[in-house]
Amino acid sequence: MSSPPSGQTPLVELVDIEKHFGGVRAVNGVSADLYPGEVVGVLGHNGAGKSCLMRILSGAMMPSHGQIRVRGEDAHIASPHDARDLGIETIYQTLALADHLDAPSNLFLGRELRTKFGNLDDKRMLEEARKVLHTLNPNFTNLTDPVSSLSGGQRQVIAIARAIYFDVKILIMDEPTAALGPSETAMVADLIRKLKAQGIGIFLVSHDMHDVFELCDRIMVMNKGRNVGSHPIEEVSKDDVLSLIIKGGLPDNWVPRNREVAQ
Amino acid sequence: MDLSLTSIRSKGKQLNMSAEMFHKLSAFLTLMILIIVFAFGNAAFLSVNNGLTVLLQTSVIGLLGIGMTLVIITGGIDLSVGSVLALSGTVTGMLVKSGMPVVPAMLIGVLVGAACGLFNGFVITKMKITPFVATLGMMLIARGVALQLTGAAPISRLGEAFGVLGNGALFRVVEQGANGFPRVVFPGIPYPAILLVIVALAGGYLLRRRRLGRHIYATGSNEEAARLAGVEVDRTKITAYALSGALAGLAGIVLMSRLVTAQPNEGVMYELDAIAAAVVGGASLMGGVGNISGTMLGAFIIGVLRNGLNMAGVSAFIQQIIIGFVVILAVYIDQLRNRK
Ligand SMILES: Nc1ncnc2c1ncn2[C@@H]1O[C@H](COP(=O)(O)OP(=O)(O)OP(=O)(O)O)[C@@H](O)[C@H]1O
Ligand SMILES: [Mg+2]
Repeated sequence: MSSPPSGQTPLVELVDIEKHFGGVRAVNGVSADLYPGEVVGVLGHNGAGKSCLMRILSGAMMPSHGQIRVRGEDAHIASPHDARDLGIETIYQTLALADHLDAPSNLFLGRELRTKFGNLDDKRMLEEARKVLHTLNPNFTNLTDPVSSLSGGQRQVIAIARAIYFDVKILIMDEPTAALGPSETAMVADLIRKLKAQGIGIFLVSHDMHDVFELCDRIMVMNKGRNVGSHPIEEVSKDDVLSLIIKGGLPDNWVPRNREVAQ
Repeated sequence: MDLSLTSIRSKGKQLNMSAEMFHKLSAFLTLMILIIVFAFGNAAFLSVNNGLTVLLQTSVIGLLGIGMTLVIITGGIDLSVGSVLALSGTVTGMLVKSGMPVVPAMLIGVLVGAACGLFNGFVITKMKITPFVATLGMMLIARGVALQLTGAAPISRLGEAFGVLGNGALFRVVEQGANGFPRVVFPGIPYPAILLVIVALAGGYLLRRRRLGRHIYATGSNEEAARLAGVEVDRTKITAYALSGALAGLAGIVLMSRLVTAQPNEGVMYELDAIAAAVVGGASLMGGVGNISGTMLGAFIIGVLRNGLNMAGVSAFIQQIIIGFVVILAVYIDQLRNRK
């Protein structure tokens, strides 16, 4: 039903990706794909390799082996810059903010707005930051404070704003709501639906089963560096997902949830 | 509700502002207290001539301090500036001695400094050697080259033109006295002081208004975050070290021009004065914090301290002890600031 529309080229194809740290195989032969307007949930126990896989796609980490295709073409992503040029934006689990700089400086870091003389256009950056931050959190007022003095949720909002402000096509969200309160979490859920409607593909790393079932079209579960299951969300129950996460396999005698009902 | 929020915010902002202003103010007060104390100790301290001496001393510390500030904001340190100063000065002196006109010789001197800084930057970013060790190496290399080139002997009689930058002044007014001797009506503004003001303004502009400056802060604040945001962290650091080297070269030329002699032994331990100037001025050795106006205040404090102690007849040994304590105190204050 909402299984990936065959015939359409995927936005992203990860093929046989591996990442080794010495003897540790953080990512072990993982293949995955993402279609326009699709939200794919990436699940797995702590240390399963989710962040490593996402960082490889966002250019923050080089894979030891494997291929990445974007919109059907081989992509060589050697730096965060390369990824951004392909329309890949990332909200990192670690948020990755420069603590001594204020919100607008962080939002535009690496992509500063400049006047025609090449000077920093701080005024315009402040205005733009105010706009985009207010859509995410109307209570966001202390824009000129260094971000070290902001709350965890406010910092997260800056990281989110940074990913959506620019022309994003592929969005990687590594636990984007970990520090957010309920209303902000709801706001992010709305945002995900809105971006999805615009045809943006989203990888959503999350431990929150409720969010995953609410927002995702598909899930992929990682266990000890391997992709142990990719399923349309209708096919699996929460128990199935838990079994994949913990055991690395579906329960015995598993029947797809949607077909089970039909039986 | 909304009103109370904004008022809290503006109050917080005032507090924030006053934290930075407080530091500047206390540095300024320290400077004033030093001046008053030294003036009471020795009336000649406040004379025009001594003022010019302080200005000249400070301009060398200040030039080094500006470069040091850029490097410290990236989270690094440059221990090689004293030696690079000597190398650039001696290279310039040798070129002038061999018949090259003064201006191109001085430009080459600055480029030699920049090349040393570039080398530092490459060792730090590409070979991943810590800034402390890399620039400590350069400290020995540059000093060694300067001594080797000259056989450790100073090069003197470099001609009047070589001395202009260090000894000349803008708007100097001299009139012929009745007794036939020239009388200085207005001592003018020494060229080194003008140079310092220009470099300080340029440095402030770079840090506040240019993208490179923003990236320097971001790199020192959180290198990984800067990298993930697409900042060319390596290039940013290399540029900071190259600028520090170039300014050390410039300081060397000013100093040697002042002496009208190229001295391969000049500038030993000047790096500590430069670090002290930056840290006293509010730069943090943890990176991400610092500014040029603070460093200028710091440079004046160190310059006045050294000059005042000289005037008071305090021995060079005791001076070292005092400056040593000042550096430790400044870094300690920096850490207290960071702890909260
Ligand atoms: N830079 C690194 N150097 C060495 N090992 C690493 C590095 N980064 C990750 N690892 C290892 O790779 C494995 C996968 O880590 P990863 O961060 O991808 O897990 P995760 O699935 O995102 O976990 P979590 O849910 O806790 O965020 C872990 O065993 C981790 O220790
Ligand atoms: Mg993770």
